[in-house]
Amino acid sequence: MTALTPPTLDRNLLHRLGIVAVLFVIAGLLSVLTDSFATASNLTNVARQISINGILAVGVTFVLLTGGVDLSLGSVVALSGVVCALFAHPGDHPLFVPIGMGLLTGVLCGLLNGVLVTRGGIAPFIVTLGMMTVARGLALIISGGKPVADMSPALTNLSGDLGPLPIPLLCFALVAGLSWLFLGRFRLGRHLYAVGGNELAARAAGVSVPQVKLFAYGLCGLLTGLAGVVLAARITTGQPNAGQAYELDAIAAVVIGGTSLSGGVGSVLGTVLGVLLIGVINNGLDLLSVSSYYQAVIKGVIIVGAVWLDRRQARS
Amino acid sequence: MRLTPRTAAGTFGLACALLATGLIVGCKKAEARKPGEWLVGYSSRDQSAEYTARLGDAVQARAKERGVKLVFVDAQADAQKQISQTENFISQKVDVIILNPCEVEASSPAIDRARAAKIPVVNVNSLTKAAPDCYVGSDDEQAGILAMEAIAKQLKGQGNVLMIHGIMGQSAQIHRDAGARKVLAKYPGLKLLDHQTASWDRAKALALTENWLQAHKGKFQAIFAHNDEMAMGALLALERAGLKKDVYVIGVDAIAQALDAVKAGRLDATVFQDAAGQGRGAIDTAILMAAKQPYEKEVMIPFQVVTRENVDQFLQK
Repeated sequence: MTALTPPTLDRNLLHRLGIVAVLFVIAGLLSVLTDSFATASNLTNVARQISINGILAVGVTFVLLTGGVDLSLGSVVALSGVVCALFAHPGDHPLFVPIGMGLLTGVLCGLLNGVLVTRGGIAPFIVTLGMMTVARGLALIISGGKPVADMSPALTNLSGDLGPLPIPLLCFALVAGLSWLFLGRFRLGRHLYAVGGNELAARAAGVSVPQVKLFAYGLCGLLTGLAGVVLAARITTGQPNAGQAYELDAIAAVVIGGTSLSGGVGSVLGTVLGVLLIGVINNGLDLLSVSSYYQAVIKGVIIVGAVWLDRRQARS
Repeated sequence: MRLTPRTAAGTFGLACALLATGLIVGCKKAEARKPGEWLVGYSSRDQSAEYTARLGDAVQARAKERGVKLVFVDAQADAQKQISQTENFISQKVDVIILNPCEVEASSPAIDRARAAKIPVVNVNSLTKAAPDCYVGSDDEQAGILAMEAIAKQLKGQGNVLMIHGIMGQSAQIHRDAGARKVLAKYPGLKLLDHQTASWDRAKALALTENWLQAHKGKFQAIFAHNDEMAMGALLALERAGLKKDVYVIGVDAIAQALDAVKAGRLDATVFQDAAGQGRGAIDTAILMAAKQPYEKEVMIPFQVVTRENVDQFLQK
């Protein structure tokens, strides 16, 4: 039954220390270089901006843990946002309808990915690549290629604040907290690690591999749908072109956080740290008015550098 | 629970049938051309982007009005695809090709091929390195000049401005930037405090403006966004921070949402790019070419600044 135990916590802890160090160095530098970084209003700002990538990254963590991948995140975000916006015209439906429809869209896309991977036996890379173009196409078809506007204030207010905290951040925190609990404390959570670590051993130990994978893709879809709803609320429209390349930022955050692309190793806490790192870099480069040509180079170097430092520390 | 070969074949067959139905519904069968009817090929840069989609609609509407038979294809922002589409036009023996080029350099071979086949080409909306027989469009530099002049007028030539670029290196971004900088050079009191790209994207412009509000709070009086999507993003950030009244925001394109926002007094202004005018100009020129009649080498459709005073006339268009 060794296949059922998650990787030792110590190893994950070591993974995280490298990222925490990089995060501290960058935050320290930004506090010295700018007057505005270390202010309450800017940090709230960072929190608001990372929420969407955060929700996506936690979702795709589940899929990466099983050794799969989901490239359709950005397109499904756009599709869910458009569907949500279509049901969100003022006076049409109560608030739960547009939110529910957005989430449902995400779940259906995720489950379809899962079914094709498990029953169809097609590589996750191909399945989700297909979903990426299909979902984008559907978003364009149902919106007629134009942004779906005129959303009710009840929904767009969801991108506002609850007390001092931005609501998108609360969504992200809730998602991350529940996922952390789920992976650590629930049997199905541990099965996710087992399937990604060694599929044959997991099957021999009586784990239903297809069901576990289907669950991972479905959950990832649900969270992608949530990200779509949050994005639509934030930009007050359903944009068929929104979310381009969001999957790359999400997967980058997960990998920075120590999750293995080949599955079986990783944690939600690591993902949250990865999300924070990317968010702080994006915010900091804007505050420093770094030219957009250099921004791209610096971001890439920091991402690869952080992972390199992290892995080196984990080995030692 | 793997798929058996039989069900797999069944599913594949079903998918093919669906695809075939889609093809039949999607494109109308090519009818035989009536004598005297002109055949024109149109390759759109990208029907999923709002402005070029509007331009495509305008071209189709004008072609119908003037009784021109139109072969309408979408290059989906891929210059390679646009070249293949042009080759198809040549083998279909169209009378004129109208190109809405994807890229300045990469779409040029499409023009060379058409000219080698002695088919006249009209470029609409953007330029290519290879010269077409006619260019119908608007001068993006003028959009930048109009927007920055509107800002200079509002601020009486004194103040700090932020600029949000489109995707760096695209023709519209380069020329809107150049126009804006020409005006800035004219007003020594007007300073470009910061500028950054948001890649034509509303969510990115929203985050960028939020970050600017942290870095330069209270230090800027105007934002020029290279398109309306980004202007709407900047507007949302300012409104949420309760600072819109201190900052003048102007975009380009006059998309429906921006016009509504101008009407409601939220957005200060936008610069109208005339899709209907460009589409009309392209088809009308194509007809002159096909009939071997004289035509203008360059048809410029002017931009116009839209403010609350004149927004009603644009809302009807």
